[in-house]
Amino acid sequence: MAPALIFVGVFVLIPLGQLIAMSMTDRSLLGGGRFVGFGNYVRIWNDAGFWRALLFTVKYTIVLTPILMILGFGLALLTVDNTPLKRLTRTVAFLPVVIGLSSSSLLWFWLFDEQVGLINKLLTDLRVIAQPIVWFVSADLAFWAVVISITWKVVGFGMVLFIAGIQSINPEIMEAAVVDGARYWARVSRIILPLSRRIILLTTLISAIGSMLAFDQFYIMTSGGPRGQTFTAVYWIYQNSFVSFKLGYGAALSIVLTLIILAFSTLQIALTARSEAK
Amino acid sequence: MTTRTLRAALAASLIASTAVAATARADTMTMWVRASGTNAASTLVNLWNSTHSDKIELTTIPDNQMVTKLATGVQAGEVPDLVSFDLIYMPDFMKAGFLADLTADLKADPNFASVAKAYVDIATYEGKLYGAGFTPDVSILVWNKDLFKKAGLDPDKPPRSVPEIHEDAKKIHALGADTYGFYFSGSCPGCNIFTTSPMMVASGSKILPANGNDDALTGDGVKDVLEQFKEMWSEGLVPKSAQADNGSNFVALFKTGKIGIQGCGGFLISDLKRDVPGMNFGVTFLPGMKDGEVSSFVGGDVVAIPVGSKHVPLAKAFIAWELTDEAQLDGLAKNDILPSRPALADNKYFAADPRIVTTAKALGVGYVPWVYHFADMVNSDSSPWINMLQRAIFDGDVDGAIKEAREKMKAIAAE
Amino acid sequence: MTSAALAPDAPAIAARRPRRLAPTAYLTAAVSIAVIAVMGAPIVLSTLASIKTAADASASPPHYLPAALSFESYAKVFGYQSGLATYVGNSALVAFTVIASCLAIAAPAGYGLARFAMRGKEIAFLVLLAPIMIPYQAILTPLYLDLAKIGLVNTHLGLAIVHTILQLPFSIYLMRSSFEAIPREIEEAAVIDGCSSWKRLTRVFLPLATPGLVTVALFAFINSWNEFLAALIFMNRETSFTVPILLVSVRQGHFGAVDWGALQASVIISIIPCLAVYLALQRYYISGLLSGAVK
Repeated sequence: MAPALIFVGVFVLIPLGQLIAMSMTDRSLLGGGRFVGFGNYVRIWNDAGFWRALLFTVKYTIVLTPILMILGFGLALLTVDNTPLKRLTRTVAFLPVVIGLSSSSLLWFWLFDEQVGLINKLLTDLRVIAQPIVWFVSADLAFWAVVISITWKVVGFGMVLFIAGIQSINPEIMEAAVVDGARYWARVSRIILPLSRRIILLTTLISAIGSMLAFDQFYIMTSGGPRGQTFTAVYWIYQNSFVSFKLGYGAALSIVLTLIILAFSTLQIALTARSEAK
Repeated sequence: MTTRTLRAALAASLIASTAVAATARADTMTMWVRASGTNAASTLVNLWNSTHSDKIELTTIPDNQMVTKLATGVQAGEVPDLVSFDLIYMPDFMKAGFLADLTADLKADPNFASVAKAYVDIATYEGKLYGAGFTPDVSILVWNKDLFKKAGLDPDKPPRSVPEIHEDAKKIHALGADTYGFYFSGSCPGCNIFTTSPMMVASGSKILPANGNDDALTGDGVKDVLEQFKEMWSEGLVPKSAQADNGSNFVALFKTGKIGIQGCGGFLISDLKRDVPGMNFGVTFLPGMKDGEVSSFVGGDVVAIPVGSKHVPLAKAFIAWELTDEAQLDGLAKNDILPSRPALADNKYFAADPRIVTTAKALGVGYVPWVYHFADMVNSDSSPWINMLQRAIFDGDVDGAIKEAREKMKAIAAE
Repeated sequence: MTSAALAPDAPAIAARRPRRLAPTAYLTAAVSIAVIAVMGAPIVLSTLASIKTAADASASPPHYLPAALSFESYAKVFGYQSGLATYVGNSALVAFTVIASCLAIAAPAGYGLARFAMRGKEIAFLVLLAPIMIPYQAILTPLYLDLAKIGLVNTHLGLAIVHTILQLPFSIYLMRSSFEAIPREIEEAAVIDGCSSWKRLTRVFLPLATPGLVTVALFAFINSWNEFLAALIFMNRETSFTVPILLVSVRQGHFGAVDWGALQASVIISIIPCLAVYLALQRYYISGLLSGAVK
């Protein structure tokens, strides 16, 4: 335990402390800055753009996380056997996970593009739509385009974790259930789900935190548009820190975001611990 | 005094000779360049490396990370010996004290005296010089001659005013639903400051404020040009996808031959010759609202020496060298890149293609804004500039858009 | 055995009627194939685009198949600046260092969290989880300035440390879950057999936690391999850059223009090493399973 704590302490807590210190200054990316106490935090309170971005990020997290968990778990159930077909399915479903996020986002941006993209061509060829759609001029369509691309990319991650969880269930329990005549879906809901609870909550937590910190996919696919409706919280931080050069203010935004995520995660972990104690 | 004379003499002798004499021990200098400037920079760096024993090692930084990388590098003491970056960041860097003072060396250099004024202005801060033009680019108007001919327009007569662009675009779109008269990237702030703002400047407007007391978006040029764009959009002369294009398809559509007229940069010439050799296209200055008004955005990269560089004299030698005839002609011009000294525009390499000569001449009619926080005001995804364009052209509210943008820009400039 | 019990009743039925499969088996097979089609389609399309000529890859309207085969996009990626081999070498060096350090730190930490009752265990756990809650673009600047002071910038070790920080919370949590899933009876048996704590860890727990270790290694590799921002900030010279930086630079044109052909080639190129690592580690998933939990 000790090495881990030391490692995190030195390389995480110290920079975090510096980040907090920086959040109390009006430091610029280009250097310099004076102490302003909680001035930045007061500004955040009035920063409508940040709250809009945060709300959008929460909406994105709430929509995406259940999709990823349900599909991921379903894929795990589907591919947990060892037949060649299942192994192939597992590999193909996992493949998008290994691509970098920026490459994957750009790949989907290319697919959805109205001029050079194949999705419009496919939909038109299949007679689903009459005219090509410009996906990224509508906030809703842009949102769903990003959700689709991220689902494709990340669902394999959940699948792999759930498979690891399912495979660690004691086979004796499963065999006993079969002998008792329990049907497949009963086995799933009575045995697998409860015993996988830990890993489900782990994966949900990590997935949700990742979504709350979403940035690259929006930066690449929507550029925050149309009209700034798809800015996420971290995108807003990026804009302030690295484009407007307001590193101190960006640090304050980061602290606020981290505290929000921390509160949410603590809540979830506390609920988990309590339900396990039962 | 004596040192200055010595340095001037050194600079002069370097220019006179065609190759720098080797120092006792060959050094390697590091140089950072942004990704989109790498090809151009390589022409000069490779030429230097082939004629000098001290070498330069080029490192490519993705465009939108260059500022962050340089800023954190300077503050950590981890800098290259030379850096080439988008010139619009010069004011911010100079003010922050990131760059070495080159005033003495540059003023003493006769070649520097003939560099385009825009490059001298952008590199000046409080009377001192901090950089030199390196790999210039400038915005121009391109038109597809084949489409012009098909539409019944004279293929050798490009539009000379924005309303004329509008008229020509109408005729070209009449050729078919799949053919468009005009193109611009509707979600790309950088593309538009490069190609659309010169049309406004040519019509007499000033775009960006230098400080909180300065004016922004002055004159009728902004409004008139935006009105023209708005009409072209509502008449369907521009592809629907342009609204969401954040720059990734900036030139892709023109290359497919479906666009009649478009603003672009000099870099497109070599791109088109390589990718679509069969296309007949012409190059001209970006016009204003009236015939005869022209302008351009003088852009590209400047070269500077970051504070903390470990090879300052050698880096200065490189800068002096790149301004010489040899470097400008055999390095840049030979590869279809503009020299920063407009006097060299009429050279043997460009003689083969008059379009490049036009582009080089555009350097002389162009402007470059000297402002702080350019990224915040223009290039950012939430900038007042792009919001104004989108609100005026796509939402139709030209006056409201300009008013809102003006206020925001002045607020940023006041910081 | 677990998987057989998890699968629908097909095998049981098949045993009675060896020549016909039950309808559910067809259904799962059909679903599997649908999944393969949907998940694989973008990659197939990307591959096809990567072997088009650069102009064809940006064609509008697009075509599914290449008009003519061309490897110019791959050539562009291979030959860019220092050459692909250099970048792959840097990425690999960093990635394998990250795997080693993640396993070395996370396994004992996960074991401690799983097995030893301590007060404040959950708090320690929260501390260890903290790094992933901080937007890492924000933490990179202070971290960079710190590491610069101790001379770790522009080194593979420095970058590996940063990547390990990012991976550690997930790795520790995974190892903890993995160890917790091992039944107490086995541990008690080992204690009765007189095994020391260290021996328990290495002889009994680690083999049983193999799927967890493998998962940690796999994700450590993938995330390090694909990490872009820290790699760019922490490395100063082209010859030290990693693959993601190459991929961003090679497709970048002026004003955000994207070379679509180069993009597709770079997607395919970046998949291959990770796919190789995944396939190599797949064996350990299965053999970890077959070695059985109860012996």
